[in-house]
Order: sequence, then C-alpha cells, then structure tokens
Amino acid sequence: MKVGLFVPCYINAVYPQVGVASYKLLKSLGVDVDYPLDQTCCGQPMANAGFEDESVKLARRFDQLFEKYDYIVGPSASCVVFVRDNYGRLLEKEEHRCQSEGKIYDICEFVHDMIRPTSLQASFPHKVSIQNSCHGVRLLHLSSPSELNIPYYNKLRDLLSLVKDIEIVEPERPDECCGFGGMFAVEEHAVSGQMGRDKVKRHIDTGAEYIAGADSSCLMHQSGIIAREKWPIKTIHVVEILASGL
Amino acid sequence: MSSREDILESIRRNTRMRYEKPDYAQLEEEAVKYPDLLARFKEVMPQMGGRAVVLQKGEDVNKVIKGLYPNAVRIAATMKEVRCGEGMQPVTCATFHPDDVRCSGDLDGTDLAIIQGRVGVCENGAVWIQQDVEQRAVYFIAEALVILLDRHNLVSNMHEAYRQIDTGEYGYGVFISGPSKTADIEQALVLGAHGARDVTVILV
Amino acid sequence: MSTRHSKAAELFLKDKDLAAWHDETLWMVRAKRDNQSKQLPEWEHLRDMACAIKMYSNSHLDQLLLEFEKNALANGAHVYWAKDAEEYCSIVYNILHGHNVRHFIKSKSMLAEECGLNEFLEEKGIEVVESDLGERILQLMHKKPSHIVMPAIHIKKEEIGELFVKEMNTEPGNNDQTYLTHAARKNLRHKFIEAEAAMTGANFAVASTGECVVCTNEGNADMGTSQPKLQITAFGMEKIVPDRGSLGVFTRLLARSGTGQAITTYTSHYRKPRPGGELHIIIVDNGRSRILADKEHVKTLNCLRCGACMNTCPVYRRSGGYSYTYFIPGPIGINLGMLKAPLHYYDNVSACSLCHSCQNVCPAKVDLADQIYRWRQKLEDLGVASTSKKAMSGGMKFLMERPGLFGFALKNAPIANSLPRWMMYNDLNDWGKEHEMPKFARESFNEMWKKKKV
Repeated sequence: MKVGLFVPCYINAVYPQVGVASYKLLKSLGVDVDYPLDQTCCGQPMANAGFEDESVKLARRFDQLFEKYDYIVGPSASCVVFVRDNYGRLLEKEEHRCQSEGKIYDICEFVHDMIRPTSLQASFPHKVSIQNSCHGVRLLHLSSPSELNIPYYNKLRDLLSLVKDIEIVEPERPDECCGFGGMFAVEEHAVSGQMGRDKVKRHIDTGAEYIAGADSSCLMHQSGIIAREKWPIKTIHVVEILASGL
Repeated sequence: MSSREDILESIRRNTRMRYEKPDYAQLEEEAVKYPDLLARFKEVMPQMGGRAVVLQKGEDVNKVIKGLYPNAVRIAATMKEVRCGEGMQPVTCATFHPDDVRCSGDLDGTDLAIIQGRVGVCENGAVWIQQDVEQRAVYFIAEALVILLDRHNLVSNMHEAYRQIDTGEYGYGVFISGPSKTADIEQALVLGAHGARDVTVILV
Repeated sequence: MSTRHSKAAELFLKDKDLAAWHDETLWMVRAKRDNQSKQLPEWEHLRDMACAIKMYSNSHLDQLLLEFEKNALANGAHVYWAKDAEEYCSIVYNILHGHNVRHFIKSKSMLAEECGLNEFLEEKGIEVVESDLGERILQLMHKKPSHIVMPAIHIKKEEIGELFVKEMNTEPGNNDQTYLTHAARKNLRHKFIEAEAAMTGANFAVASTGECVVCTNEGNADMGTSQPKLQITAFGMEKIVPDRGSLGVFTRLLARSGTGQAITTYTSHYRKPRPGGELHIIIVDNGRSRILADKEHVKTLNCLRCGACMNTCPVYRRSGGYSYTYFIPGPIGINLGMLKAPLHYYDNVSACSLCHSCQNVCPAKVDLADQIYRWRQKLEDLGVASTSKKAMSGGMKFLMERPGLFGFALKNAPIANSLPRWMMYNDLNDWGKEHEMPKFARESFNEMWKKKKV
C-alpha cells in the first residue's frame, strides 16, 4: 500500500508543521508514504467562488501527480472532499477518467477507517475543544451532523481518545459554521467575522486551551480572529496532537 | 389557447424524467406507535398548550365541564347527548345550538363551545373535527373549547389518522391541537391569537 | 469585493444587540426543530419519503392538477388557472369586484407576496386586511416580511407597542406580548366579521379529493373562511400532493421542521364551499412550469415553505431577512430569486459559506447549498461575476498552475510577514477588517521536504 501525501497549498505555506505531523503519523503507523513534489492547489477556492472551470487544469495535474499511489491522504477535510466530490465531473469535461476521487482520504478518516489503530504513543495533557468543520461533518461524514436523527459518532473524538492525558470537549452548537468558506470570508467579511467570533467564543466557553480540528482553513480563520481579539485560546490540527511525541 | 391549456402545455413540454410514486407502507409501518394511547394522549396535550381529562365511570360530563369553566355563561354545544361507555349522557350545560344564530358573526361572544372530536392523534395532540353544524365558526370563535372524544378513537400518528378521517357532507374538517397560539411578537408564545384561548379534550 | 447582500449584512451587524438577539432567537427555533426530529426514530425516512413524493408529484403535475380540478369541480368549487402574477391578481380582483366586496380578509400567503396582490387590490379600492398577527403588524407598519414563517421576527415589541397605541388604542408603554396579542385579537375580530370575502393560500392541494389544506397556529385562516360566505384559495402548482396518505407524511414534517412544534394548532381541510357560499380556487404557475426543465434546480419545487433553512443558516441569522434582495430570504430564497430573475437577484448568491446545514434540515431534501454552488458557476456567463473575485481567482489559477512559480512564492512568502502594518491592514484588505493575516512559515513544507527535514 503506497500512500501519496497531499499537502494543500496554504498548509504548505502557513502550516508546514501539519504536513510534517501527517508524514510522521503515517510513518509511525507503518504506512509507506511519499510526498510527490510540485503540488499546488486542489482548485477549491476558485470553484467555491464561482470559477470552477479554473480548477480543471489543476484537477488534471493533481490526478496525474498522484497516479502511481494506491491512496492519496491529506490533512484537510475540505480539500479532500472537494477532490472526491468534484474531480470526476470536472475531468469529464476533459474526457479524462478521474482516478483520484475513489482513493483520496482525509488523514483522520484514513487513520480511523483504514488503519484503525487501537493505541497511540501520543500524549497531550491539555483540554481541547473539537472544531467539527462543515465539510468534514456534512460532506466527508467525519461526525454525525447535529441536524440529522442518526446515532452520534465522531471520528475525531475517537482518534483523540487514543491520546494520553487529553481532555476532549465539544462546543455548544457543535457543528455550526465558523464562517470561513474561502472567498466568502472576504466577500462577506462582516458576517464571516461575526460567525468566527461567535464560534471562537463558544470554544472558549468550554474552558479549552486548544481548538482542535481536521481543517486548517477553519483554524486559520479562527486564529486570525483570536489574534485580532487577543483571546486566550490556541488552534491546533488534530494530526499535530496525534503525532505529538513522534 | 386558454391559460389552462397554456399551463398544461408548458408543464408537459418542460417535464423531464417522471418519477414513480413511492409506497408509504413501510414508513407507516415503522412510524412511532404508543403502547398506552390514553396515557400518551394525556401527556401530549399539555405540551400543545391544552389539557386532556378522562371522564371517570359514573361521572357527569356536564359537571366536569362546569367545574372546568365555572364562569362560562354563553355556552354552545353541537350535540344533544354524548355516548359515554355503554350509555348516553345528555349535554345539558349548553345554552344554545350554534345553528340557532342568525349569522356566523352572532357567535362572537361565545364563552365556551362543546364540540365532537372524531379521532385523536397521540403524537401531537391533534383532534379531528368533521364539520357537523352549518356554522363551523363555532369551532374557532368561542373563547374556550371542549372537545368530546371517544377514548377508543385514539391513534398513534398522522398516517393512521388520515386513514380514518373524512370531511363529510359539509366538505370541511380540521385537526385542532390545543389552543390558538402565536409567537409573532419577539417569539414569545401567547395563547389565544384568534381562536380558542383554552382547549380541553374530554375523553369519554 | 462586495454585494448588496454583504453591505446590508454589515449594516445589520452594526446593531450588535439586535443582531445577537436575532441569531439566538432563530437558533432556538432550530434547536426546537432538532428536539422534535429526534423524538421520531423514523425522521430521516420521513424526509426521504417527502422528497420522493415531491419528485413524483412535480413530475406528474399535468395529471395531478387535472385530477385535482375534476374533484374540486365535483365538490362545487370554481377553478381558475393563472399563468402569471398579473393574471392571478386579476382573477382575485374580478371575483371580489363581481361580488361587490369592499372588505377583504386574508391569511398569510407567500404566493400573494410573490405576486404583489395587496398592492394590486388596494390600487383598485379594495381594503385588504392581513389576519396573521405578524403580517398585520407589518401591514400597519408598511413593511415587508423578513422571514417566511415568522414575518415580523425583526421587529421589537416596543415598536409594536407604539404602533398599537396608534392603531388599536392600547395603553401607552404597555409592550407586554400577551397584552398586545390580545389587543390585536379584539381588533381583528371585527374585521373578520365585517369582511365580505376571505382568502387563504394553501400548504397542500390534494389531487385525489380536490381539497386544499391550510396550516396555521393562530386560527386566522379559519376565522376568515367561517365568517363571509365567499372564499378564495390560491396556490402555486407545486403545492399539489397526490392523496391523503401523503398528507400523513407532510403534516408530520412541516411544523416540526419550521417552528419545532409537533403540528400546527389548526390543519384545515377545505373541500366544499360553505352552504350557500362559494369556493374559488386559483392554480398559479408564475414561472414554476419553466423550472421543471431545469434539472439542476428542479428540486426547489420540493420546498414546503417551512423556513427551516433560514433558521439554521448561519448567514441568515446574522444578516436578517432584509439583507437579501429577493422577497424570500435565506438559502431557499437565494435559489428562488435566481430562478425568478438572475440579473436582479444575483447579489444574494454571496450569502452562503457552503456549510450545507440547510440541506440537512430541509424536510423535502432540497439540495440548497449544492444549487447555490451551481449558481456561482453561472455568474460569469451571466456577466455579473465580481471582477475582483475573478481577478483573485485568476491570479491563484495562474500561480497554482505553475509549480515552479508556486515554489518560488512559497520560498519568498515569509517576506510578507514583515510588511508594515499599514500595508497589511487597510481598506483594500477585507480579510484584515476581521482578522489578523496568517503568518507564513519560515520554511514551507516543500522546502523542508527538499532539505530532508521532514
């Protein structure tokens, strides 16, 4: 089983430590993992803003770049699900059969569903509040959406529960949108900012020291707000916690 | 072409895939069912803002009504008597029949209306009223409403209710669940918007 | 980079207390909806069924409407067909005019709102009285609804108190909700009794029986239709359902989804005219049949107008109904506006973070967020895509299609971290209005990998 590590553009530039943690975590779990160079962006920002056609070429490149791997695994639920749900349709326009859509996984999903570890080395003696991101919850099914009448599950909680000394909580309105939404955060900045402040406050109200999520984009938005408001909480990617001590 | 033909033509021209009619049977089968219908109905009525009272053996329905609405003066009833268990009880506490008025507006000022329920739904406290008098305004205009309902006519859910109801010769029927209500001012719940302010279902 | 929605939203959020109240209050309704839905183990199956029934009925409108018409005529009703808003308004007017109606009482109807009925009738000298409390308040204030189920959700009780002092002689300063509601009850009682005709919309029109079903909590539809002997009921043709069995499905979903109640207080079934009275039924198209051909948006016709998508929408809750340019706000309004006139209503397409919560609460499973995503793809062809957004997206595309350039950018990005604050946070930077900028890492993942530091 050969895994190609997908490191989304903004993680590459702003949160390289999340890429590093992803690599280490997979390695430590015995996965044969490689990082194909020359990765850029999956195309989601353009598509969500209404310029889907601008992502076609990127989809084509992405698809070729990861052709030789059995799985594509990346630390960003939103980017992963964009590839999974849209590349097939985008590449149809190019008369190219997409092979990424069936083998791409968010790293938490991959570890939870495919590797299924029963224990981890990690220890994280802190209280963390889970950031259930919209695309993670409602498109990638990382946890049960609060709107649906289905039994509760949360893959992030399951994984974090394997970490020693950690205390896990979820905020009120556990999966309300934090307001990122790509260019939404710029075009509708007033609403986006209000959503972000509301979200961070609910995380703070749990008494947590960290907001932990599987989407660095939501975390980037929230840490921008935290920095502006000078609020007493930090953000961290779930993978960083799972890989702590590695 | 008439608008009717135009519209139908436009529908036919624009309809693409035709979907099959689904079968409700499995859903109706798995829909919520209550083992003790009477207990559930008594429990759900207060949640809808009303109350349910079970008429005890040997109890006089008129006394129960008078006890609940001691100050009601102008009382309409749509029935002369009501079946209670094996026997019939006359409804004597009413002061008039709703069809005795000259016009529906004359029903304004009715303190209490006693009406007949046909089916009670345990999932939501709704009671089916099939119009049985000419002035159906009486169901809505009275300040308070007493619905007499045979305790054997309770069902669990709306699927079951719809199999039993009809609109009768007047071609009108309504599910009523508790008193009239609104939350249109700052989402504060207020009972008595336009219809009855107070509803009691007496299970006979 | 802003739209009419985003500007209006910014204004709405300036009144912090009201905005917070609006968000909290509508969230409470969403929470009540969750609570109701979780009491029914078969909830998700109910939603699937509602969707399946609507897919069936909306793809058999020709047959079902004819079946409805046949049964309604047999019941003694008059049936009219209106192609558009104007024809609908004219039909209503002609009925009223033909019966010398001067006083006309109406219960809430989004169709009437859509077609501008009140304005049309008032211009012709017919007094229209709205009987739903929220609608009445708005009518007296000359305002429009900001929510389809809770039309006056944006109005504070103090304003209503002041209004009622003028209109209903209430005690000045008494803004108690119960007091005000009962004052309106008394005031409208006379309006019901003096009206010569009453009108309702319909939540459902049942093909197999020819009856119209109306759901209210206040009882205003029934107060209206049980006083005058002339009743008019109008519905958009997607309100058709095949039979009473389907009502079992929809009546279980509607109020639970919309207001978090197990059922509305009144679920009224109008099948025949009252003895000695008349029942006139108007079936309205007004653009609906055209939507049938649009496979990407045909599911909007599933909508029950319950309002659940508004209550859950994090953007609607924080921007209010008036921030949208179409008369129906929120996720369903964004889509219906685009179907009505994209060049008029494209400003609303920005009002969505694509969180997809609306799709999960919708009782008839309208794919609301997916449709908004699709509309965004069409803005460019419509010639109304934001130029700055386009430039940003184009810039990204240029960069991302060139791995060498992206690598170069990654390497040099940290320079941006040391730019002076005034260059980072100015009027041109909408991100900077709410957040600090993210700091680029000293070394990107790419660099680290190349240097074998990973």
